Amino acid sequence: MADRATLERECAAFARYLGAGAGDAYVTEQYVAAHEAGVVELPGTTGFERSVVALARALPWSLRALDAHARVFGNGSLLRRKLVLLLAILETRAPHDEALDTPTAGSNLGMFVRMAWLGAVFATLVVVTALLLLPVRVVSLAGGAR
Amino acid sequence: MKRVLIVGSGASGVHFAQTALEHGAQVTMLDVGRVAPAPVLPDASFARFKREHADPAGYFLGSKFESVLFPGAKGEYYGFPPHKGFIFAPLERFRMRASGFDPLTSFARGGLAEAWTGGSFPFNAQELADFTLGPEGLLANYGRVAARIGISGADDDLSRFTPVHEHLAPGLPLDPHSAQLFERYGREREHLNTRLGAWMGRTRAAVRADDREGRNGCTNLGRCLWSCPREALYTPSLTLRALLKHERFTYLSGRHVARFEADESNRVRRVRAVELATGREEVHEVESLVLAAGTLASAKLFLDSLRAHGGRAPALAGLMDNRQVLVPFVNLAMLRRRYQSDSYQYHQLAMGFERPDPRHYVHGLVTTLKTALIHPIVQSVPFDLKSALWIFRNAHAALGIVNVNFHDDRRPGNRVELEADGDSTRLVVQYAPSNDEPERMKAALATVKKALSKLGCVVPPGMAHVRPMGASVHYAGTLPMSATRAPLTTSPAGESHDIAGLYFADGTTFPFLPAKNLTFTLMANADRIAQAWARA
Ligand SMILES: Cc1cc2nc3c(=O)[nH]c(=O)nc-3n(C[C@H](O)[C@H](O)[C@H](O)COP(=O)(O)OP(=O)(O)OC[C@H]3O[C@@H](n4cnc5c(N)ncnc54)[C@H](O)[C@@H]3O)c2cc1C
Ligand code: SF4
Repeated sequence: MADRATLERECAAFARYLGAGAGDAYVTEQYVAAHEAGVVELPGTTGFERSVVALARALPWSLRALDAHARVFGNGSLLRRKLVLLLAILETRAPHDEALDTPTAGSNLGMFVRMAWLGAVFATLVVVTALLLLPVRVVSLAGGAR
Repeated sequence: MKRVLIVGSGASGVHFAQTALEHGAQVTMLDVGRVAPAPVLPDASFARFKREHADPAGYFLGSKFESVLFPGAKGEYYGFPPHKGFIFAPLERFRMRASGFDPLTSFARGGLAEAWTGGSFPFNAQELADFTLGPEGLLANYGRVAARIGISGADDDLSRFTPVHEHLAPGLPLDPHSAQLFERYGREREHLNTRLGAWMGRTRAAVRADDREGRNGCTNLGRCLWSCPREALYTPSLTLRALLKHERFTYLSGRHVARFEADESNRVRRVRAVELATGREEVHEVESLVLAAGTLASAKLFLDSLRAHGGRAPALAGLMDNRQVLVPFVNLAMLRRRYQSDSYQYHQLAMGFERPDPRHYVHGLVTTLKTALIHPIVQSVPFDLKSALWIFRNAHAALGIVNVNFHDDRRPGNRVELEADGDSTRLVVQYAPSNDEPERMKAALATVKKALSKLGCVVPPGMAHVRPMGASVHYAGTLPMSATRAPLTTSPAGESHDIAGLYFADGTTFPFLPAKNLTFTLMANADRIAQAWARA
């Protein structure tokens, strides 16, 4: 498990990604507590999963791409577990619950166009990250074999 | 004065007790009876709760985050709130294993219905045909129970499937999504009724709109899943609380009843219980014994008693449960609206689907999504979480689910029996669905989807979820009532044909399980059995 300072930074970056600002002290406290309770990083967690999280921490702008990759190739992986945990914490806490769950302005047509766009971006990110992360996967596997 | 000892304080036990007391009897109730935590911020709405509670994550997710649904977890879409853990906490003395069945049992004060969603749909004459009830049926009993607990609903299109009884109070105000669906149903009614055999009406729910008898009416807090803090949504522990004031009622909780004993003439004489705090054994002499421990726990108690008496216990065949399929839908007319959080959270509408055999009627509970933990749903959208959240927030008010229920019959292979487990025993539950189930389900689900489409809703492909057997928690049928005396059956009045003076007040005696939630019928039947017992 990462140290407290790392988890705090991670929490702020992930909260920003989910659209809830940087969270707040309570959210961070809960995020760290869940890690300490041992419900996030399970015994079977692989080196590759840890590498993906380390990458997300180091390059927060890549989070969406890494998340898209994990959604397809490792839905139960460490990054997805961390993101879902944070979403669960944020949704219990005002005002983040509102920030996450209020409809956006615009028309229905606009919504469908945006959904199609999101789908296209998602598919592209999955393909690109599958290629880019291949070396990381190979290195992790080799590490695991040793 | 007649005396009776009742095992269990669930929906069945408390209504037997109340009727027995009304008929002048002396009532003792033995119960494991785990107690609920006190309500928190009882007047706060769901939204206000999140603002005002000091530790909302602890409340909603649990101190060990046990109610977070992580991706890839097997099972249902939702987790039970942590503070409802007392309802389902296992009891070391009650051992069970199951195949083809996911059983739930409760050792709580009030039993499983402390967590129920209040759906209360009376069985009609065709559905009660095997119940050996006589011409009066259960209608008067439904009315009596409705007066006690408060049932809201309406005499509308669903009345063709679901009888109207006395004391049916008007339904709660509809949330905007349910109102829109109901209005659309009004416009498409002709087509839905005649072409699809699909009907819609207000749900029947055990929830009070008005303040009465120490309970507050529903004020749309939207916290039903987390236990209604106003007691507007009925739970059996409310009846138990009222019974405790009665001078002829004795309640002994923290007791696990291990078995009963009968004399040489097979008349029940005493029960043996264990006080859980001390491990001390207690013996209670009985004139009449009523098992209301829930179908599975009553079966174990019965079989353990026969085993202790004669050395062998038979298998009890005929276990039933309703298959449920969850069909999610998106109502296109509700996209991009703000969902209404201050609203009764569970189903406000119900649907009935005709089948060629009226006993195979298919029943649907229509729940529009309002307050709920959203992380289990958002993560299921097949996108990255940021995009999934964007889609969800614009679709939240348009989402809903039809919980489609199917009937069940008693079949010999579906049974419960004992196996030895050290110096104790374990209940073994075996269940397999009927051969024609896939075909019945396919036909019914096609109709459900067509009906939803006519109502302007889209069912996302591949998202219908067939719940495992056992998940509906509508268990029944292990010692059915029968007009003819036969072993391992009961009389129409619920008295065992094997052991005199032994009664069953829970689902044990149901000979058939229609597609409707059974608990209202459990209560009505317990009232009927108690009346028959008191008059005998
Ligand atoms: C989430 C959920 C939602 C539901 N929604 C609905 C719904 O909308 N509509 C509906 O009709 N039904 C619903 N149900 C089903 C309903 O809760 C049950 O049908 C009903 O509670 C059964 O009541 P019962 O009294 O027969 O048994 P139980 O509720 O199982 O009560 C058993 C009682 O017996 C006691 N007990 C057991 N064994 C012993 C023993 N050996 N010694 C001493 N005490 C013992 C327990 O402490 C408990 O008090 C739902 C259930 C769940 C879990
Ligand atoms: S909405 Fe639910 S929690 Fe709120 S008062 Fe009504 S029944 Fe109770």
